[in-house]
Amino acid sequence: MKKYNKVTPEGTKDLLFEECLVRRYVEKTLRDVFFSRGFNEVVTPGLEFYDVFDPNFSGIGQEVMYKMSDRRGRLTVMRPDSTMPIARLAATRLQGLPKPIRLFYTQPIYRNNPALTGRSDETVQTGIELLGADGMRADLEVIVTAIEALGKCVPDFRFELGHAGLFRALAEQPPISDDLREDIRSAIESKNYASLNRILDGLEESGPVTAMRTLPRLFGGEEVFAHAEPFCSDEKSGGMLEYLHELYRSLSCRGLGDKMIVDLGLVQRNDYYTNIVFSAYVEDCGDAVLLGGRYDNLLGYFDFPMPAIGFAINVDAISKIMLDHGTLYSVMPADVLVHGETGFEMEALNYASTLIEKGLKCENSIFETKEKALEYAKTRGIRRVDCIGDRIETINLT
Amino acid sequence: MKPLRIALTKGRLENDTVALFEKIGFDCSAVRKKGRKLILPVGGNRFEVVLAKAADVITYVEHGVCDLGVVGKDTILEQGSGFYEVLDLGFGRCKFALAGPKDRDFFSGYSSKTIATKYPNVARNYFESKGMDVRIIKIEGSVELAPLLGLSDAIVDIVETGSTLKENGLEVIESICDISARLIVNAASLKIRKTEIESLAEEMDRAKEGTA
Repeated sequence: MKKYNKVTPEGTKDLLFEECLVRRYVEKTLRDVFFSRGFNEVVTPGLEFYDVFDPNFSGIGQEVMYKMSDRRGRLTVMRPDSTMPIARLAATRLQGLPKPIRLFYTQPIYRNNPALTGRSDETVQTGIELLGADGMRADLEVIVTAIEALGKCVPDFRFELGHAGLFRALAEQPPISDDLREDIRSAIESKNYASLNRILDGLEESGPVTAMRTLPRLFGGEEVFAHAEPFCSDEKSGGMLEYLHELYRSLSCRGLGDKMIVDLGLVQRNDYYTNIVFSAYVEDCGDAVLLGGRYDNLLGYFDFPMPAIGFAINVDAISKIMLDHGTLYSVMPADVLVHGETGFEMEALNYASTLIEKGLKCENSIFETKEKALEYAKTRGIRRVDCIGDRIETINLT
Repeated sequence: MKPLRIALTKGRLENDTVALFEKIGFDCSAVRKKGRKLILPVGGNRFEVVLAKAADVITYVEHGVCDLGVVGKDTILEQGSGFYEVLDLGFGRCKFALAGPKDRDFFSGYSSKTIATKYPNVARNYFESKGMDVRIIKIEGSVELAPLLGLSDAIVDIVETGSTLKENGLEVIESICDISARLIVNAASLKIRKTEIESLAEEMDRAKEGTA
């Protein structure tokens, strides 16, 4: 039988040296931002029951989840998303806590991507969830945290704002079937103007129909709000637009300038989002590196309704961008190699401890002779060798 | 800023796109006499054209290594989509159809049918939407052979004039959908380089109107 003992499954990979340095740096940098704003860390299990991610609710297709069964034959999955488990955790274990609850996480998610597309099945994400908080203050806090966190790792990005409720408010007005509504949504999502027009041409022209026709084109800077205003004449969609505009104005005070974009055509299906949604893009990365939004109905799925908002940052994507741009230095050799002569092995280890306490990076020599230790130090680029015998001898290599 | 990179489907769509570019006034001489190079400048250094097979155009655009792509709707339907499809370019017109031997009622009887096709996903989606359970066999070359040899009851394939079908005693049973060339855009590229991409799409749209 063929043995697969020297390869990793498609969609996974080993991380070596610099890759680990960068990833840990990103994790720590983002963690510090979240922590200093009062968010506390949680870790949820890598394995969860399938029911936590019910596709009808999570928008995560069942074909995407890695599935197994537990000892009693119940369906379990490898965590495909972190927000659902955190909602579960908050709804079941944090009911007594005063609101709002601020949580953050750094953990991988697993998704079974189509074969041979080069996508990762294991992706590390870090993000925050602000639970039990509604309104402008909460939305601003989360978005500002997102922008601040991202800015610590990649200075140049585009931040995009949208509203998941806008399409729903418009699409519920004309008397059309759910299937047709889904076709319209899908055409808007892919900015497929040709197919969108073909569908809408078949409907009676009305305010909402014209609005939906225009929705995918309504993206850009602040001018979008003025363009959208005539289409959002009813109270519901008009209110959403006004709210988004207010949010935009508050955020542009932070000097984001042309980094901010508005896209009223953000109508993803993968959606527990109910209200504002946002994402961030970086050049040389084909996918969004940050995704987030408000999900006021999600906690209700776990029988503990409360409003909530959060986002996730793709740590792997950020790490790759930083590596490609050479933003971080490479792995450095040890400062000192400590070599103990025969009979001084323990002394050498103790001596290394004293150097380490002073802040030096020390490697222990496992060689029998000083010559071999020196040779090793040269190949590794270690510039100083301390030999421990009756006395301590320091040899500096150039 | 780097030039926008556009992946073109090699062959007829490439030629039609280049003709469209020239109509707009872009210098395409590098593509006209390309030799074996696969990345070529167009319109001075405003764009870079990448020549690729249809399926690869989608892959390059999805991964964001190309900002835009010109590819047939047939490939988009078969491969799925994680990108924006902003423009129907109007050329490369044909359609997907279900075809089978003349004078035989494909939908009659209760035995499950076998379909030969180069586009298994298109065929599967079509029959799923009809609520029909069929066996699908993937064929790489001339699909018309499969029903003639008795491998399948019918085929799902691209039909342009229908003359190949006719010559082999086949006919269209049902049209599935129309196909033409599309301009597709990577999602992140559209967000980051909105103005450039939108103005290019507009220029192409305007030039295309003239040809129709």
